Amino acid sequence: MEPLEPPIDETESRPPSAPMLLNLGPSHPAMHGTVRIVVELSGERILRADVQVGYLHRGFEKMCERGTWAQCFPYVDRCNYVSPMLNNVGFALACEKLLGVEVPERCRWYRVALGELARIADHLTCNAAMAMELGAFTPYLWLVRARDLIWDVFEEECGARVTHSFGRVGGMAHPPTAEFAAHAAAVVPFVLRVVDEVARLLLGNRIFLDRLQGVGRMSAADAISLGWTGPALRACGVPYDVRKAHPYLGYDELDFDVPVGSVGDCYDRFTVRLEEIRQSARIVDQALARLPASGPVSIDDPRVVLPPKSAVYDTIEATIQHFKIVMEGLKLPAGEVYSYTEGANGELGFYLVSDGSGTPYRVRIRPPAFLVTSGLERVITGEMIADVVPCFGSLNMIGGECDR
Amino acid sequence: MACFTLDDREIPFEPGETVIQAAARAGIEIPHYCWHPGLSVAGNCRMCLVELLPPPGRAPVTLNVVRWDAGRREYVEEQKPKLVPACNQRVSDGMVVKSDTSPHVQRARRAVQELLLLNHPVDCPICDQAGECRLQDYWLEHQARPKRMLDEIIHRPKAVRFGPHIVYDAERCILCTRCVRVSAELARDPVLSVRERGNLNEIVVSPGRQLDHPYSLMTELVCPVGALTAQDFRFKARVWFLRSAPTICQGCGTGCNAFLDFDPRTDTAYRHRPRHNPAVNGHFMCDEGMLSYRRVHEDRILRGVLKGEAADLAQVVAAAAKRLAKARERRGLAGLLSMQHSQEDNLATLTLGRALGVKAWFVSGKAAGEGDAILRHPDKNPNRAGVAALCPEAGPVEALATALEAGEFEDLLALGSDLPDVILERPFGKPRLRVVLASHDGPLARAATVLLPASTWAEAEGTFVNARGLAQVSERAIRPRGDSLPAWRLVAMLADALGVELGWRGGRDLRRLLAGVGAGEPGGIAADGAGDVG
Repeated sequence: MEPLEPPIDETESRPPSAPMLLNLGPSHPAMHGTVRIVVELSGERILRADVQVGYLHRGFEKMCERGTWAQCFPYVDRCNYVSPMLNNVGFALACEKLLGVEVPERCRWYRVALGELARIADHLTCNAAMAMELGAFTPYLWLVRARDLIWDVFEEECGARVTHSFGRVGGMAHPPTAEFAAHAAAVVPFVLRVVDEVARLLLGNRIFLDRLQGVGRMSAADAISLGWTGPALRACGVPYDVRKAHPYLGYDELDFDVPVGSVGDCYDRFTVRLEEIRQSARIVDQALARLPASGPVSIDDPRVVLPPKSAVYDTIEATIQHFKIVMEGLKLPAGEVYSYTEGANGELGFYLVSDGSGTPYRVRIRPPAFLVTSGLERVITGEMIADVVPCFGSLNMIGGECDR
Repeated sequence: MACFTLDDREIPFEPGETVIQAAARAGIEIPHYCWHPGLSVAGNCRMCLVELLPPPGRAPVTLNVVRWDAGRREYVEEQKPKLVPACNQRVSDGMVVKSDTSPHVQRARRAVQELLLLNHPVDCPICDQAGECRLQDYWLEHQARPKRMLDEIIHRPKAVRFGPHIVYDAERCILCTRCVRVSAELARDPVLSVRERGNLNEIVVSPGRQLDHPYSLMTELVCPVGALTAQDFRFKARVWFLRSAPTICQGCGTGCNAFLDFDPRTDTAYRHRPRHNPAVNGHFMCDEGMLSYRRVHEDRILRGVLKGEAADLAQVVAAAAKRLAKARERRGLAGLLSMQHSQEDNLATLTLGRALGVKAWFVSGKAAGEGDAILRHPDKNPNRAGVAALCPEAGPVEALATALEAGEFEDLLALGSDLPDVILERPFGKPRLRVVLASHDGPLARAATVLLPASTWAEAEGTFVNARGLAQVSERAIRPRGDSLPAWRLVAMLADALGVELGWRGGRDLRRLLAGVGAGEPGGIAADGAGDVG
């Protein structure tokens, strides 16, 4: 019988130096996302890494070129399925920019509140998954429970927990429910309490800190040259946030801070996200305080916004309006526009080209995750193989929007 | 050229033109319901009202009106310019007209549109016109406001049968009288008229009559709303699923330009409607031609037939080639062309027949029918002139019958399946072999030894020469159904199997050979290519 291990040549003083190629993914228990990483190892040290994305490519942008502008909302939902509400709002804002319209005040604060809740949910998910992948399962369950409460709010508002398709060009599908403000105001403190507890559990834990601190560092200059945005960039110490730099929806009227890290390692990315949850909670409070209890939630333009259903069934005018918007689609003026918002993982941009018909001529999404993932190779090169897990987790690649 | 100004744009005009005509020629649509370029001016819908600025130094004609002032909650008196209908206003040099830029015009359009929809039923979901309805388009463009009237709408007769082809819905009708004018002016049969006034206003057929003149479907075509619907198209398809191909009508020798509306998902033709061509048919077509599209799906031969049994195309072609090779040796082959088929199909058959040594050519077609001085030609074959130009020596099909009776020919190569009734009554000889390429069932198809399934005009691009010698191209709409292929392609397959050289390789070669055959003018596709309902 063959020996289990090859006999070691005792005369050889050094370990074998030929590097080893190791393939991680595209389906791997430690990957949260479908991505392939081929690493070249010397011992456990990563000499070179090759990150291959695209396994989740579904052709969202091409699909948008069939159908109408309104029919893009379900597609953008599925780009970032962890915070789809932010994508909904971002796409609606892009269409509105091309139309040259501003939504009513009630819609603005509604969108801000829903968007920040979505951001909290996204950060909760990212940090929860990161902790779990490092073996800390309890924080995962706690954070995801908090996320579930946020999803309850979404379910109350639009009927869907994950893919909402709630945005509309010129407004939202429905006005806020009567209980929205109270419901959200009750959920947010609970979420903050859970976040504090989890922070106490993890950030005093030697093992957890050793796995994160100094691991996967990225310099501010490199992050900027890679096009990083969002928490990953801010962890490097660059205080760029679209909500502050190019305010939209009235973010300039709100009081919130932009947390930044210092060295751009996994620890900074983790803590920046934790702090952003607290800041988003502040924003939600302020937005709820500003949300008018009544008033229109959509613009008053029959060319863009669907009429109330009761009128559709009863009057020919509303039937025609409904027919025109549904069958031909609302028409955006011919032209092109780039509109960008702060998604949960950074700058979420929509580049739209309209030929004036009811169907998009071109929809291009600038997904934050694609550019952040492009830095993964640099982040893990030189680290140990086990560090791939926290590094990848802290970059929060969302396959849907990265691969589109 | 003399010019006038429309919304700050200089627009040239021909003497005698109206504002709406000159604007339409410049590509500007002034909204209208009752005006139709092919009919007389009625001026009753008031949608095309425009503001005419007075000549320099003259005061404008104004009207005293009252306006509700919501702020003061009372009516206030004011003056507004008297607007004129663009369809009935002749243009003069230097005239200044305001259309989209005049707030008075915009208000007038809004009011007209609101009044037209006042008693309109909520019918879009069940109305055949939805998707190509003026009321829908203009509501969004010119009114875009919800209903203000709270009362129940006035209900009027629905689904009134006007005749064999037309159903009338008085609730949807806007009383533009286009249908009345089509009957009186195009068909010269004033069978429709307007009855009553106000809410009871409706279109009626003359007592004791039906709307049954040969142009009754035109009343439906010109109807800008869903008041008149065609029995043939009613509830069959939704227009936004249909695509249109520019075609040539196959009904008679006039060769009206048409659109064939078909569903590309199922390759089904649903509607044939006129395409504007001032040189041939103007804006119109006859009922017979509009309904001729149904032949695309009726009585079709979709599989090859060999000795009375359906067979695969390859099998049928091989069998036909084998038999034709023998017929070539027997030297007793007659050729039959078809006035129902395109020039391409006929030329292909002609080249194959000549290569096989056809002794004499004949030509078949449909029997003559009714004609009139409007559009309908008594010759019910779309390509008589074309075949005559391709093969002047071709004899009539009666001569073929006589020759077959006399036993002059042993074999027959035929295109098409139509034979006049007079032939059917005569004993049809006993040729040993009949190779027939046909798209429809008919006496010849049934008598065939080998039958090859040919496509119809809707399934292949083809040239047709009308009675006036105008060669026009009919484009392909749907994909060939069943096993069928364009007859010229079947001929090419036969030639390949026989190993004979025909001098052409494909449709493009055929069209090159056809260039200049029997055609005074080429083309025939209207330059704008747009559907024209006025």
